[in-house]
Amino acid sequence: MSATKTFLLELHCEEIPARFLGPLHISFAGLFSLKFGVTKFEGLYYSPRKLAWVFPNLPVLQPDQTETQVGPPQRMCVDADGKPTLQGLKFAEKWGVDFSAVRFEQPAGKKEPCAVVTLTKPGRPTVELLAEALPGLIAGLHVPKAMRWGSSEFEFVRPIRNLLCLFGEQVVPLTVDGVTATNTTWGHRLFHRQHPDPVQIASPEAYEGALEAAGVVVSVEARRKRIAEQLESLAAEAGGRVVADAELLDTLAEIVEFPKVVRGDFPADFLRLPKEVLVTSLREHQKSFCIEKPDGTDLLPCFLTAANREDDPEGFVKAGNEWVLKARLYDARFFFAEDRKHPLSDRLEKLKALTFQRELGSYHEKTGRVVALTKMLATRLSKDDAHIERALEAARMAKCDLRTLMVGEFPELQGVMGGEYLRHERAHEEVWKAVKEHYRPAGADDAIPSTPMGCLLSLCDKLDTVVGCFAVGLIPSGSKDPLALRRAGQGIVRILWEQAWPMTLADLVETALKVVAPKATKPEAETREALLAFFKDRVAYQLELAKYAGSVRRSTMAVGWLDLLDLKVRCENLSLFSEDPRFASLGQSAKRIGNILKDETPVNDFKADLLVEPAEINLVKHLGRVESQHDLIVTLNHLAELADPLEAFFSAVMVKCDDPALRATRLSLLHRLRQAFLRVADFSLWQ
Amino acid sequence: MHIQELILRLQRFWADRGCLIGQPYDLEKGAGTMNPLTFFGALGSKPWNVAYVEPSRRPADGRYGENPFRVYKHLQFQVILKPSPAKVQDLYIESLEALGIDLSKHDLRFEEDNWESPSLGAWGVGWQVVLDGMEISQFTYFQQVGGLDCRPVSAELTYGIERICMFLGGYDNIFDLIHGNVTTDDGVFPVTYGQMRQREEFELSAYSFEHANLDLHRQLFDAYEAEGWHLVKDLGHFLSAYEQALKMSHTFNVLDARGAVSTTERPGIIKRVRDLACACARAYLAHAEGASVPADAAGKGGAK
Repeated sequence: MSATKTFLLELHCEEIPARFLGPLHISFAGLFSLKFGVTKFEGLYYSPRKLAWVFPNLPVLQPDQTETQVGPPQRMCVDADGKPTLQGLKFAEKWGVDFSAVRFEQPAGKKEPCAVVTLTKPGRPTVELLAEALPGLIAGLHVPKAMRWGSSEFEFVRPIRNLLCLFGEQVVPLTVDGVTATNTTWGHRLFHRQHPDPVQIASPEAYEGALEAAGVVVSVEARRKRIAEQLESLAAEAGGRVVADAELLDTLAEIVEFPKVVRGDFPADFLRLPKEVLVTSLREHQKSFCIEKPDGTDLLPCFLTAANREDDPEGFVKAGNEWVLKARLYDARFFFAEDRKHPLSDRLEKLKALTFQRELGSYHEKTGRVVALTKMLATRLSKDDAHIERALEAARMAKCDLRTLMVGEFPELQGVMGGEYLRHERAHEEVWKAVKEHYRPAGADDAIPSTPMGCLLSLCDKLDTVVGCFAVGLIPSGSKDPLALRRAGQGIVRILWEQAWPMTLADLVETALKVVAPKATKPEAETREALLAFFKDRVAYQLELAKYAGSVRRSTMAVGWLDLLDLKVRCENLSLFSEDPRFASLGQSAKRIGNILKDETPVNDFKADLLVEPAEINLVKHLGRVESQHDLIVTLNHLAELADPLEAFFSAVMVKCDDPALRATRLSLLHRLRQAFLRVADFSLWQ
Repeated sequence: MHIQELILRLQRFWADRGCLIGQPYDLEKGAGTMNPLTFFGALGSKPWNVAYVEPSRRPADGRYGENPFRVYKHLQFQVILKPSPAKVQDLYIESLEALGIDLSKHDLRFEEDNWESPSLGAWGVGWQVVLDGMEISQFTYFQQVGGLDCRPVSAELTYGIERICMFLGGYDNIFDLIHGNVTTDDGVFPVTYGQMRQREEFELSAYSFEHANLDLHRQLFDAYEAEGWHLVKDLGHFLSAYEQALKMSHTFNVLDARGAVSTTERPGIIKRVRDLACACARAYLAHAEGASVPADAAGKGGAK
């Protein structure tokens, strides 16, 4: 084993936006691995002002390089006695070797043996390679929102103010935008109030420890862990538990260099605000966690946030955050009181002035379409007139909260506020819950609405959005999906999938197309085709989320996906066989059948008495059992039992034989087999 | 700390660090950035450091003087440093200490906040500066102004004067702030922000929410626009033309506060202000640097 050393690079910048830290860290690690062939780095070293990488086990020297040089033909380099000619000696001299090192071989492309020398270049010191490659790697980092600063043309995420770059204990000589690498860096701003000099880093191994001593916990994972621990213990001290928010925890870990969780209090009468309002206001405005009672019901009048320092000696951090939060909560309480001065339904008219989408009109018009859709679908699901009337009421109220002050301030509370205001107005529980949850599921991790009426409203709202946008040509493509139509489409599929309603996607698309027709700017046939392709992708993704094997997903979808209820049953049952080797064999046979029938027009020309081979007679017997069966799981068992007879059939029987009648019968048999398969799945796609 | 004391200390601090002390520009505007000292100062290659107070009007934020935190008009303290110094963050932190904030006892953070002014064709990247959870400043590296790339890049620091005063003094109501003391033969009389401004807040809020004549403002908007284009296109006068762009911007803000601008109309109206401002920027650069600025040199366009 050759000697290795550890490599360390730290870009010390002005505060880098939290959202870019992780992606930049990964992206440089990828570029570096590609160039230097090491894939393992230590720790996720990044903080607001630092992006750092430690790669252990880089060879000190790069591997030796050999190259072959081809010279004149052998006959010109040696004379008849085997002695070197002048030309031969010159060739050896040119490459700095003794003539004895010259070999004679016939290289590719030459007609005769030639003089050849192999030269070995000793591997270069890795530190040289690092010095050469790093400026390009750093400059080549993709920064989504790059900036320039000062008088330089260099672009990066934020100004680079210091460069620390070590290979073992050696500084890698390197300059980026006028900043030259050294073996020093800067710790926490507060640390340097007492220590004006930069921090020396003796070796990559000493890096993390030296920074901790200078007030920076450079590993984001370590900071997250410390914050989580402090949150937990401070919440327990307050007599409750933290309202979990993984995203907020990540954010806090990314915006501090030395985390100290601080607890603040707010006046208890703010607890009369809806819980969602408090949680959102604290999160959005103050990056703070709420504390709830141990049973998860109510909140406690206090909050937790992380400061970027190790203590709060005079309580300024606590007092400052409390002051700002109080101002924010006053605002929220003002909005909550103002909004309730008028019934929510007063906003329905005001939705006329709020554009949903240019071609599709206002939210008032959207509401009209959602009500129409709800009416059509609700009457299919329910015979109870009072229930249907409540569903329509929920549809009418769904968008009204967009004109409330609270949603103006916190757009993410849309739906929630409408539901809360209706609850305060003593609306029926079904109605306010449906409105409150109709934006769900907000993503793959979010649940669908908790009530059937909420699901119906969510489905109708999303269906109108997706079909409406498609009808005016707003179709997501590639990475472009500004209206998040894919997420809405996924929500529709999720709801149908989980509610198991007897509605096909084709049916829903037709219904919605009719409702949105007056606004459509694209030919309906074109829209329908695009919608079906769109929903097919969503269904395929739903099957992935449900974790069915690839074989099951491909083969079941191929024979029909518009009826999710039917698709789900087929997937569930077929999954029981996904590891069954007999189905793998069936897949092979199905492929063969497909190939044989490819150029044949299907005919029903089956004459059992023509069959001669025992293998084919046996196959027909098994096939009959499949065809006469209607229970899916029994059918699948029979299909599995078909695998061996099929294999035997193909090894014993020549389908396209010379006798035309026998041949027609055998082809018909294969056709029947294929039909039997396609009732469940296209097994030729099993592999 | 009194408001006037805060202003004086900031002016002293930045004057000592090589800034000109400028004055507010005597036209209504929504932000200190619109002052020509910044708009034109940030363009071109010449070094430029300037600091000044700018009263900033945001008609939609008016609350009739009844809301303890929101006002129609507030004071910004604006600093432009061109090119942005390598130690610009340290300088900013020193300025906070000059205000008596002992940072060894506070939590100071720079959190991402990118600034964009669509009506000036300007954008930059930077932070909101957060002290103990409270936003006290905006910090921006200008990337484009008037649709033109900034070369070199200026750093813009904007201090929210009332906010900082409230925060430092623990005030719960902006109108309780003390602007300063009036000393006469009869004694010392502290004057509050409320005494100075509460009536003004009431009247200006009432004006922009209720009484502003919408037809008049629509006509004014069109007239300022025509005047501005005449000045810059026919005469090459970018300063007087820019004033017309400022008036358009404020007129738009009044219309907007009255709810007279629909969401679909809005981008088109803002673009009309921007087009004039960008024309002024190009004319200024041609004048100041003798450079002819073809339309295609107008940067990479938009936020990156």
